[in-house]
Amino acid sequence: MTWIRGSWAILQKDLRLEMRSRYAVNMLLMFVLSSLLLIAFAVGQESVGERMQSALLWIVILFSASIGLGRSFVAEEERGTVLLLQLNVPGSQVFTGKLIFNFLLLLAVDLVALVVFALLLNMVIEDWLLLLFSLVLGSVGLAGATTLLAAIIARASNKGPLLPVLLFPLLVPLLLSVVRASRAALDGGLGLSRALPDLQIIGLFSGVVITAAVVLFEYVWYD
Amino acid sequence: MINLRRYTLIRNVILLWMSVVLCAAFLLGIPKINILEHTARNLYFHVPMWFTMMAAVFVSAYHSFQVLRSGDIVRDIRALQAARIGAFFGVLGLLTGIVWSKFTWYVGTDVWWNFDPRQSMVSLQLLIYGAYFVLRGALDDPSKRARIAAVYNLFAATTTPFLLYVIPRQMDSLHPGAEGNPAFSEITHPIMRLVFYPAIIGFIGMFWILYTQRVRMALIKHRVTHDPEL
Amino acid sequence: MAATSVPQEVQDASTAYDSVWAVANIPTQGLSGMEQVMLSHDKLYVVLAVVLIIWIGIVILLLRNDARLTSVERTIEEQGIPSDDGL
Repeated sequence: MTWIRGSWAILQKDLRLEMRSRYAVNMLLMFVLSSLLLIAFAVGQESVGERMQSALLWIVILFSASIGLGRSFVAEEERGTVLLLQLNVPGSQVFTGKLIFNFLLLLAVDLVALVVFALLLNMVIEDWLLLLFSLVLGSVGLAGATTLLAAIIARASNKGPLLPVLLFPLLVPLLLSVVRASRAALDGGLGLSRALPDLQIIGLFSGVVITAAVVLFEYVWYD
Repeated sequence: MINLRRYTLIRNVILLWMSVVLCAAFLLGIPKINILEHTARNLYFHVPMWFTMMAAVFVSAYHSFQVLRSGDIVRDIRALQAARIGAFFGVLGLLTGIVWSKFTWYVGTDVWWNFDPRQSMVSLQLLIYGAYFVLRGALDDPSKRARIAAVYNLFAATTTPFLLYVIPRQMDSLHPGAEGNPAFSEITHPIMRLVFYPAIIGFIGMFWILYTQRVRMALIKHRVTHDPEL
Repeated sequence: MAATSVPQEVQDASTAYDSVWAVANIPTQGLSGMEQVMLSHDKLYVVLAVVLIIWIGIVILLLRNDARLTSVERTIEEQGIPSDDGL
């Protein structure tokens, strides 16, 4: 119970700070919108196949995650609140709070990206349930990996563009399965049964990544 | 820290072993296989690169785990050097694979790089190690660097096994045992296996020699400059 | 073998060669000079190339190790550590 309360407190704190400045949300949404517009302009009038649509959608989500979510621990360091958190809240609760916060941000990104993408590229969604399921499941794994790596780069001296470099090689298994699952959702003929192995892999990947991240976070968080 | 007498003994045995393997690789007759012809002998050189890299990845991950358990800087040196030599063998495996496939299945085409599952997996492992080296460069304090880099190395080690399942379902393969291809045991004559397995042991031994040499160098550097990065 | 699908894609433009492709691996573009050399003697030179790549790799690693050793030696000299143990 205390564990849930601690995580909830961290989440609440982050949400309240976010409500005040809206920095992360605004940056993420602007990034998603501008990259989607760029894609739409670059593609022009050509019709894009299902495979390409789901690949582009996920690459936009991945890039926005790597750019927008890297700040979660760097911000604590800038505000000088790291020591306070280290002393008062166990590491796993800090991690869970941040993880859920990042996950919520990613859900917002997913939603905006999906709506704008569907309008701009004339996406025809055959299987809504499958698409939402793969978006949400994929975001869980993505949030797990980014949260740990954000804690890692907060420890580095020159933080610049380190997160994408660390993140992308790790996410290839997730990206491949998630692109296949979303493609099956866009391509009605394939259906749920063919996407099931991919969904299983995404779920397994997310579970393993989050477990590993919770265990490893202690070594990053404490000196 | 390193038992020099044992190192010298094992090194000499391995160098002798590799010399015998090299001779056997060229002197022993092999059955003629269509398309492959003499290049079937590359089995002794190209394939062990992959095995050696996997061994290096395991050694590196093991020592990273020990870094987290004990915080010992020597473990960090070992993890880094195993990763470096592993990346070295990965690059060699990629290059030799490119040459081999170019002059067998892709003769007369302009295909140099095909998206073979194993090729993709090795290049991803190289990307991960590239990120690992970059991350190390961004951390200043040696003990902090050891810990954070170990976390990244282990985290990467938990995600890579998924590639073994995900990638083969997406791409065709030239390698035996993949879908539509004959199994390894079907196309490999017993006499080839007689050289192949010793070659794997020999190349892993070569890894061990190169890795131990660099660990020794890094230990000296650590003693002189208090910074083991090499 | 799965590999045969790749050359067939390459040659989709001129389907006249289809019957040839089904039987054996005969090139569409004609052999370049490098390929003529590499394919002679039952492709033995391919093995040579592979062994040479590994050898050159080991040489490069050796040279890099040497450079690292030199820099460590220089720091030892600068710090004035006596080299009594024969290092």
